Amino acid sequence: MAVIQVEQVRKTFGARDALTEVSFSIPKGEIFGFLGPSGAGKTTLIKILTAQLKPTGGVAKVFDQPAEAMQQSAQKMRFGILTDNSGLYERLSIEENLELYRKLYDLPRSAVEQVLQFVNLSSERKKKTNTLSKGMRQRVMLACAIIHEPELLFLDEPTSALDPVNSAHIYKGLRYLNEKGTTIFITTHDMAEAELLCNRVAILYQGRIQTIGSPRELKRQHRENLIRVELTSGEAYELPVDGDTADRIADWMKRGLIERVETKEPSLGDIFIKMTGSELL
Amino acid sequence: MNISYKRASAIFVKDYKEFSRNYALSIMLLFPILFAVLFKSAGASLPGAAGFLFNSSFVLLTCFAQACLIAEEKERNTLRTLMLTPATTMDVLMGKSSLVFVMSTVVLAISTLLFGYEPANIGVFVAAIVLSIVLYTAAGTICGLYSKTLLDASLSIIPVAFIFMGAPWGAVLAKDYPVFGVLDYMPSSQLVHLLNLSPAGYSAGEVWPPLLIIAAWTAVLTLVSVVLYQKRLRDE
Repeated sequence: MAVIQVEQVRKTFGARDALTEVSFSIPKGEIFGFLGPSGAGKTTLIKILTAQLKPTGGVAKVFDQPAEAMQQSAQKMRFGILTDNSGLYERLSIEENLELYRKLYDLPRSAVEQVLQFVNLSSERKKKTNTLSKGMRQRVMLACAIIHEPELLFLDEPTSALDPVNSAHIYKGLRYLNEKGTTIFITTHDMAEAELLCNRVAILYQGRIQTIGSPRELKRQHRENLIRVELTSGEAYELPVDGDTADRIADWMKRGLIERVETKEPSLGDIFIKMTGSELL
Repeated sequence: MNISYKRASAIFVKDYKEFSRNYALSIMLLFPILFAVLFKSAGASLPGAAGFLFNSSFVLLTCFAQACLIAEEKERNTLRTLMLTPATTMDVLMGKSSLVFVMSTVVLAISTLLFGYEPANIGVFVAAIVLSIVLYTAAGTICGLYSKTLLDASLSIIPVAFIFMGAPWGAVLAKDYPVFGVLDYMPSSQLVHLLNLSPAGYSAGEVWPPLLIIAAWTAVLTLVSVVLYQKRLRDE
């Protein structure tokens, strides 16, 4: 069953097209990356899927219902959202912020303790949120978004401006949630993050999906059929993938001359640049 | 429109904690009490003192506090985050308005006692005050929803203060300038009429029209605040 189904969705702001005939579907349990540079339309699509914005055309469905239905309380229980605009109550402590969400989602008291452990903030629970670092704030906001263990989680650039340690902590948590069955829709312009987390990605540029598939598939599609061979002498060759190359490599191997053999596979970042012609942020 | 008591009370408790730690805002609780003490010492010689005390309290406490509570949530993006939780429009509005309602009720009760105002009819007085608190809470919600920041909210109160607090004084000029007669239909002017009911006796015609006008203002502003809130659930 598709948790998210988007068919020919368009969104215009005045004369500007933010999204142009965007189509894809996300099955249950997938981590789907929506990649694109800033201003590509990623946040616009999240807003459409969470009923904060009406599409100009096309159909957006979540849990097999029109995205409009996401305004209903029963549907809101099923998803969580973390955006770079998510806010915290500055005069309240971490625990008090989470306590509010616990009550709004009608959860048992143990939910706060569980989610604090999940984001590794149990010992910091009494700290006021206005004293927290950017990384800790992001973890608290993630805790607010997942306290009810949603079926679907929208993450809009969840690790932007985070250091690698905090990012790794969040990745670990997201994988754990995904293993428990949460479908994750993540927007990012960090290609390494997408490659690390996502089962499939779509690259969005100027409101259009340029390509879609698993990182492995995309790399295979876009790889140059070359093998790079480095010899112990320091010489390096880029050779086509064919029978002659196989014979040459076998010969070098017999003579113990090979230092390293690697396929020339593009990174997701290389594919992104190729698709969009733009520089990564 | 369904309301969840649990969710509304969660928002109430959250707002109470935030308000009690926000000294710049919570100091507003003292103004009505301060006015009551000052006017009391001026004695009965000060005409219109009761009307000014109540109308200024509604604007400076009820309307201002509500506008600031809403605008601060908007400024920090917590209102949009709240809108994406299962809390319904009514849960949020009831939760947020309850705190201002309770604060206004308690502070106005203290101010009334300190000032020494004795209503001609306690039932009419309570009804007018309760309706006015709801009315000014709705006005504060509208100001807050139109503001992007706390500063905007503080400024948006100025026209409300000018129109609502000034209306009873402006209405006095209606004899010379008939156009000012329209100010007599403002809820603040109608409240002054009710506050001035004579303890010696009054007719139903002196009670019901002012109460109905205040009720009509309350219904309209409450409706506008709910519709505006629902519009803010979505981007354009």
